Amino acid sequence: MAVNRETNTQAPSTSSNGAEFPAPYLGRTVRLVGPHVNVDMNQSPHPKNARGELGKPLFNWYRNTVSHDQLTRVSAPNHFADRRHFLTNVINRSSNGKVNTERVAVDDPAAMARHIKAVALYMGADVVGIAKTHPSFLYAPGGGRYVQDGSAKDDFQRNSPEDLARNFPYIIQATTAWDYNKLQAHRHHIGDAAYHVSQMKGVMVLKALEGYIKELGYTALRGVVTPQAAGVAGGIGELGRNGLVINKNFGARIHMPDPILTDLPLVADEPVDIGVDDFCKICRKCANTCPTNSIPFGDKVVHNGVEKYKINWLTCYKLRPYVHEYWGSCLTCAAVCPFTKPNVWWHSLATWALHTCPYFARPALVGALKWIDDHFWGMTRTNRVRWLGYDSGVKPGDQACTVAGCTASHDGKGTANADGGTFGYYAPLKENTNRFVKRDA
Amino acid sequence: MAFRLGSLKLPRLGKTSRKDDPYWDFFINRPPADLANTVTEMIRNAPAGNVFPTKSELHTPEITSSHLKGMAEYFGAELVGVAKLDPNENLEGFPFAVICAVHADYDPRSAPGIGGQVPVQNGLFITFVLSAWIRELGFRATAAPDPDAEKFAARAGLGALNKDGRLVTPKFGANVHVANIIRTDLPLAPDG
Repeated sequence: MAVNRETNTQAPSTSSNGAEFPAPYLGRTVRLVGPHVNVDMNQSPHPKNARGELGKPLFNWYRNTVSHDQLTRVSAPNHFADRRHFLTNVINRSSNGKVNTERVAVDDPAAMARHIKAVALYMGADVVGIAKTHPSFLYAPGGGRYVQDGSAKDDFQRNSPEDLARNFPYIIQATTAWDYNKLQAHRHHIGDAAYHVSQMKGVMVLKALEGYIKELGYTALRGVVTPQAAGVAGGIGELGRNGLVINKNFGARIHMPDPILTDLPLVADEPVDIGVDDFCKICRKCANTCPTNSIPFGDKVVHNGVEKYKINWLTCYKLRPYVHEYWGSCLTCAAVCPFTKPNVWWHSLATWALHTCPYFARPALVGALKWIDDHFWGMTRTNRVRWLGYDSGVKPGDQACTVAGCTASHDGKGTANADGGTFGYYAPLKENTNRFVKRDA
Repeated sequence: MAFRLGSLKLPRLGKTSRKDDPYWDFFINRPPADLANTVTEMIRNAPAGNVFPTKSELHTPEITSSHLKGMAEYFGAELVGVAKLDPNENLEGFPFAVICAVHADYDPRSAPGIGGQVPVQNGLFITFVLSAWIRELGFRATAAPDPDAEKFAARAGLGALNKDGRLVTPKFGANVHVANIIRTDLPLAPDG
């Protein structure tokens, strides 16, 4: 990212305005340490790719491919046969409503914070958090608003991040979780279904919440905030080695959609500690199973003034055109994460134990939990998942009947049920992807 | 927060009370000043897309029905049924109607607020994505509001009509919202 720090006068550094905006506490996994240049949304992966800067295969994957899978064609960005079938296009491209001139008075911000969270959950969100705005969470000025598969326009596009942070002190992040059982079929269209359908739902919930805030008489801006920063600062979770925000109930299987920046009086949440920092130091399951070696095995690094585990997004992204025929999103790092478990009591018990354990004893506890995870859930997920007409036991590209008890001959295409088995087909990618994605030194 | 015990969940325990929320009535009952602020309006105004040119290979109508219902349930439908349309109801050549319903804590007909319309919003999400999915399978499907939606729902076995003509279901009683009716020529096995 070639942003010249000296000429970029609008970009804040933590030292120059540290008095008004002290470096925010982001929990134990992320620290804002050095001078930070606000991220230009035009330099993020999808906009770069849309301009063709990442090469022909990725550009063609992004713009010119139609998925073989019917559900992917209605739920995934850019691989539809007809744009009108993708609900996110409908919702995020719609014109914005006006802010209600009759503003609802907020006497008690704490009551309003409770109300907004109750509203988000009532509309179908699974997790919701409120963060105090810090200029470093916002996209660089002048770059426009970033709403994936949509657009946003407002009267504050020319404002500096500091002005925005002064006028709009709160960020609301509401998100949906993916279905646990479907995610077990990662690198498969069933996993895609878990990922894409809940993402569409999350987009709808956030748009409805945005409209509701405007009806309350307050401004709600979209496409302004870096989602991961809002998620970590708002207590939705901690940032893992895989670059995903890890939640105490759902692990890594939650989305980080575009949050809402607002001037509605609220009370911000604090970052949480569920032991992700201690776990990621030891575990490395995601790094071991990543098909493109995009997840670091080493320690945290300081990238753009932020100390965190830095994944190689480019190599992660480059895999996609090569596997497009078989699945949409890889999701392996989310599926193998030991925090990604069903939302049940024994999972709550484990995260509670990590949360309450004193720091010095945590490595031992993590070692024990990791041993349990390796032995009961395995080094990677290879479960066979059957859902409707899908079956992850069928090798990608093969055709087989997936109906239980079906005895028809199907013109020699075979029946998947004949061979049985509890293992899914798990594409062995390490050997193949090394040809075009070299391991980071 | 519901008290989580898996299948042993106690329904009354931990049910959220709205009594200490001074804004809840505004959320449920206050009609929006600008309809462009509501997602329901966006989805209602969205045009239907094209039917995919190649028809997908389908199994028997019974299996297709079960897949369709599983898909609707995954999108959030709590009750799903398929009704066969009579020839006089079938002017555009759609032999089947798919009926999806969701629970409604507040009756959307008397609660015009964004919160009161949440069942409508969820219903529109289901019928939009489900009808788009049927069109991507290569079959025709339209999702439209229908004044006789509750009659179709009763015919598809979702429940029975009470003396006011409202749908009453075994699971939710009368607290149920019937979403748009999807009319389709996908070969299905009708219920009820």
